[in-house]
Amino acid sequence: MAKIRDMIPAFELLQPTSLEAALELLDEHREEAWVLAGGLDSFDWFKDRIKRPSVVVDLGGVPELTGITDIDNGVVIGAMTSLTEVERHELIRSEYSVVSEAARHVATPQIRNQGTLGGNVAQDTRCWYYRSGWPCYRAGGNTCYAAAPQAMNREHCILGRSRCVAVNPSDTAPALIAVDAKMIVENSGGPSVYDAEDFFIGPAIDITRMTVMKPRDLLTRIQIPATWANAEFYYEKVRDRGSWDFQLVSVAAAFRKSGDVIQEARIAVNGVAPYPVRVEAAERIVAGTSGDEETANAAGEAAIEGARALRHNDYKIAMMRNLVRRAVRSVA
Amino acid sequence: MAEKLVGTDIAPPDLRAKITGRAKYAEDFRAPGMVFAKLLLSPMPHARVRRVDASRALAMPGVIDILRADEVPAREGPREACLTDNPRYEGEPILAVAAVDEETAAAAIEEIEIDFEPLPFVLDPLDSLRPGGPNPYVEGNQFSGQDGWSEFKWTAADFEAIDAGLMPDPECPVEWTKGDPESAFAESALVLEEAIVHQSLTHHPMEPRSNMAYWEGDRLFAFVSTQSSQQTKFALAGALDMDPENITFVSEYCGGGFGSKIAGTTIMQVPALFSRKIGRPVMLRVTRYEENYIGRARPGFQSWLKMGFLEDGKCNAIDLIIVQESGPYGAGDYNTAGMIADLTYTPQNMRFRAVPMYTNTPPKAAQRGPGGAQIISMVEPILEKAGRELGIDRLEMHRINAPRSDVRFGPRDTSLTSVHAVEALEQGAELFDWASKVQLSGQRNGSKVTGVGIGLSPYTAGSRGRDGMMIIRPDGKLYVHQGIGNLGTHSIADTARPAAELLGYDWDDVVIVWGDSSRGYPRSTVQAGSQTTTAHTRANRAAAEDALRKIRAVAASAMGGSPGAYRVDNGRVSGPGGTMTLGRIAERAIAMGGEYDGHVLPGDIHEQTVPAAQMLAGQGLMGIARDNFGGEGSIYSWVAGFALVELDEETGVVELKEYVGVTDCGTVIHPRSLGSQIFGGSIQGMGMAMTQRWVFDPKWGVPFANRLYTARPPGILDVPPDLKWGAVDIPDPQDPIGAKGIGEPPVGAGAAALTCAVADAMGGRCVCRTPLTPDILLAEIEGRDRGFGRLDQHIG
Amino acid sequence: MEQQESVGVLEQKYSRRTFIKGVIATGATVSSTGYLFRGSPLLGAATYQSATERLITLNVNGQDRRVDVLPHETLAMTLRYKLGLTGTKLGCDRAECGACTVLIDGVAQYGCSMLTHQVRGRAVTTVEGLEDPDTGELSVVQQAVLEEGGFQCAFCAPGFIMSMTAMIQDNPNPTREEAAVALSGNLCRCADYDKILTCAMRAAELARSV
Repeated sequence: MAKIRDMIPAFELLQPTSLEAALELLDEHREEAWVLAGGLDSFDWFKDRIKRPSVVVDLGGVPELTGITDIDNGVVIGAMTSLTEVERHELIRSEYSVVSEAARHVATPQIRNQGTLGGNVAQDTRCWYYRSGWPCYRAGGNTCYAAAPQAMNREHCILGRSRCVAVNPSDTAPALIAVDAKMIVENSGGPSVYDAEDFFIGPAIDITRMTVMKPRDLLTRIQIPATWANAEFYYEKVRDRGSWDFQLVSVAAAFRKSGDVIQEARIAVNGVAPYPVRVEAAERIVAGTSGDEETANAAGEAAIEGARALRHNDYKIAMMRNLVRRAVRSVA
Repeated sequence: MAEKLVGTDIAPPDLRAKITGRAKYAEDFRAPGMVFAKLLLSPMPHARVRRVDASRALAMPGVIDILRADEVPAREGPREACLTDNPRYEGEPILAVAAVDEETAAAAIEEIEIDFEPLPFVLDPLDSLRPGGPNPYVEGNQFSGQDGWSEFKWTAADFEAIDAGLMPDPECPVEWTKGDPESAFAESALVLEEAIVHQSLTHHPMEPRSNMAYWEGDRLFAFVSTQSSQQTKFALAGALDMDPENITFVSEYCGGGFGSKIAGTTIMQVPALFSRKIGRPVMLRVTRYEENYIGRARPGFQSWLKMGFLEDGKCNAIDLIIVQESGPYGAGDYNTAGMIADLTYTPQNMRFRAVPMYTNTPPKAAQRGPGGAQIISMVEPILEKAGRELGIDRLEMHRINAPRSDVRFGPRDTSLTSVHAVEALEQGAELFDWASKVQLSGQRNGSKVTGVGIGLSPYTAGSRGRDGMMIIRPDGKLYVHQGIGNLGTHSIADTARPAAELLGYDWDDVVIVWGDSSRGYPRSTVQAGSQTTTAHTRANRAAAEDALRKIRAVAASAMGGSPGAYRVDNGRVSGPGGTMTLGRIAERAIAMGGEYDGHVLPGDIHEQTVPAAQMLAGQGLMGIARDNFGGEGSIYSWVAGFALVELDEETGVVELKEYVGVTDCGTVIHPRSLGSQIFGGSIQGMGMAMTQRWVFDPKWGVPFANRLYTARPPGILDVPPDLKWGAVDIPDPQDPIGAKGIGEPPVGAGAAALTCAVADAMGGRCVCRTPLTPDILLAEIEGRDRGFGRLDQHIG
Repeated sequence: MEQQESVGVLEQKYSRRTFIKGVIATGATVSSTGYLFRGSPLLGAATYQSATERLITLNVNGQDRRVDVLPHETLAMTLRYKLGLTGTKLGCDRAECGACTVLIDGVAQYGCSMLTHQVRGRAVTTVEGLEDPDTGELSVVQQAVLEEGGFQCAFCAPGFIMSMTAMIQDNPNPTREEAAVALSGNLCRCADYDKILTCAMRAAELARSV
């Protein structure tokens, strides 16, 4: 079969108007159903004619999935809330600014208007071999092209490799980890709650998926507890251009201080592993310190412990170390 | 008194259409019964099609037909055909399918069974130069019209030197020498030797090269995305082997080309051929994915440079070797690179060698400042390095080495009509405040280091000898017929201004006629090589002088007195016998016939202009003439670029803070447009220097970075927020208008100012490669492994 | 400068110049058939028994338009091939260039990256809908562009103009930096960014003075 990378193949479009209906449809169609949020990930696959679901479930008309609600102990964000809304929401901006910052760094204004928080965290990796439709492990095959000796892997992982060396591309994922967010995943059997860092899985668990979600599952909302409200935050995304580009490496951090001293920290890095990495070793090092230069350096070194470069991405080790250092230094 | 037109800002006549959605680009045209073609692209870097079974595709409802390689024009040797059974790069179009809608056409492509014999391929020219290395064509790696195919390899000794990190001394098919470089190097106070890589990058104009065509009997209607109009019609006619007068060629708007659509595109043949075959209008919507491949790319260079300097900073010797990645069909950048190096540094002693090598990568073509932009971005940092080592201010280094008006350069000792490179440098330095900014060099702000750099960039910017054609109709307006393409330079309007001024017209009474060959256009330049401004201000001026002569003669014949005593202004001609409107003059001209209304044409206009003029005969007073103003020497423009950057040593990210571009481009016709060309070209150069490249997996011969978001052309946030421009505005003395072109010189200036500023921020360390992405800079700063060889191409 | 507007050969040939001018804003279908999908049987009956009603009403540039839209059809394609609105351009079809930017309920989005069925019941605005449909008076953004002589090849212009239109609603008094961010989802290969920003700032100024 010759290849062409244009024109979405036909599918049946289902547009449920309630969460219940959506879950029913997913139950009914299972592996046949493709969940459509903002579409910025989905349409690429469809237009390349690589993924060709027969059924697409459009969540755009499900009211329960959008909106940001201030609750007693934090805030709840509907998974279909646009990234623009997340970025601009007063409560998120003022109390959980790392999440607002992260949302602001996604792609472009139009994509933030159309794209959703849920879509951003659930998105598939951007390894260009995988995205070109090559039959790698992640695609159900039995090799990894990006890990080959001559491969072009500047954007691939330095940690968490397990046959697959792709990275998680989400900008908001590390920020959500930094605020101890909980991801609520539902199916017709009921909801499950995942800590953000457990929501993302690596190839060692399942090489074909980026998150815990399986067919029938729907990420319905993201709950941020008040734990890190008004903490000191740091966010930085290093990329080639000022817009559109995914990160080379990004860092999101939250620090709770008492006076000058860091009581507790959360530090998460993305673009370095097939899942966003919570750098607990660095978190432990900074606790009880003021985030001085020496601590920052130690935290950075701890963060890259065990990192292994591929041929073209050795720079990521230095970049990750430096970003963690900067995150720590920022609160000193 | 009619308004002054040259040197003022006037919105071009097509702007309203552009901003209301009325402007139609090639893919916006529709025809009743129009069908859609889609392309099947080669999945392999080099192959022969063994078997095609399209039976299932053709049996699908809604599929109309297939077009194969044996149905399209092809030539011997390494020449591109619009379809081929012998693809020479991954992504090359093999066949086309037409169907009633795009969806069916796409599904039909998938139903085609196609079988390939894979052939050896070459991505990196050095691989093919290596003894025993592969060839990009089965027949070899060099081709000449006379001798056909051959195999050209360097020696084992050459590669020993290269692999040891030294400059080789190889045989090269292209070579010229001036002066005595060997002796000159012996006298140099400082000799620098570097291996420098400039990667290939795709043009990526915003508009992919879609096109539509249909026939009415023998007459072809073609709607094409092209940089040039008049010459594209002839190119298309030539490709289809038909009479150009049987083509109605429509190209009113072109969404950019930058050299990739100079005289149309190869793929424009497909709708024309296909629609002739099936008897229906055919639209070929080219996707961005396809545009990556057939949309051309700038040739990459792998080069060695040896540069000698005297105590006072004057470059006295250059030894330059360029290996060019030419794609499967060749490109000429290397020649220009050698000339421009000689021109910019005036070494007096230079040895130039080049090896253009075919490769199984997307086709290469001129890209805005071909050869020149690369070489300037590669060599300027070496010049600045010399300045540092000799303790000479870098502005001074550029000034000392820049040519003056008596320069002779290149293998044919070319001279220039005017050179104000030094003035551009000095004016730029003042606008940028080099004296203060250079003090900031190396200054730290946290982890950020400031760097400043200068790039002086020349490029060819004019030609002569085209035809101008205009008519004053009985409505009194001046209709200027332009065969120029409308690719966004505003030349269609701006090159008419000096003519309109001569005839005393207010701009509101000037009508620019362009974009549709059925309205008639004169023989024009292609819109390439930045030549249009010069060529057509001159040609239109010549035609205006012809019109003026005729107006005066008609006035004198109507009102008495001597023709020379009549003056034109504001739509009237006045003199000893009285005054008449130009509308009435036009009516008289029609009555008088002969040369006045275009029934008799000058003997020296181009044969391609004649049919257009004949079509307009008898419709008014015709001004038509060939540009015979003459002149000696080549016409070049200059841009001096100055950049200030901040390099973050912890991430390798470069923030562009300020940029100044000052040009010597002769007389300024349209200031605002000039400024935007300087910035636009400079920013394209910055994209070249910082983010854009082709990336190949060398094992599979397949490219990545084949999406816009992976190709990384600069966005609005990648542009320095502080941008200034200036112009020396000294008329070229050999030209009645004195205007030179501007499209290309800024590219090298922007790229070089950046590569120099980054080297400056790195304490004078020159990475000697583009693009300078954060990973490369961070690895350099940290002293870490880059993962690729010094001379490797297609990394990213 | 009416005579300077581009008129396709086709329009000359069929003498539809007046007709076309009048319908540019409304975008009434000038093509006689839906080019994109003729409903070829290859798609199979099952698909069309789906719940998605194919003949829908779209609100485009203030007008309700009835149009036959397949479930997997993108808005950009519907606009360009079924509604005669070719002002919205396809630069990449992949949300990577912004040439297809349209407004959905006043919000800038990429028309190539949404299904037409996702915008039923929403107000869609394209570049053709900015000028006053009766008087032809240009919008504030368009006037600003005309004044400042923005754009070169202008293939990106409609997309930028839509983004600017959204911007001045969203942020009536932007700094130049803010304007750049607002326009950071639109690519210009001619790199006319500096002048485009000047147009955006002028547009905001004009809008504030109205």
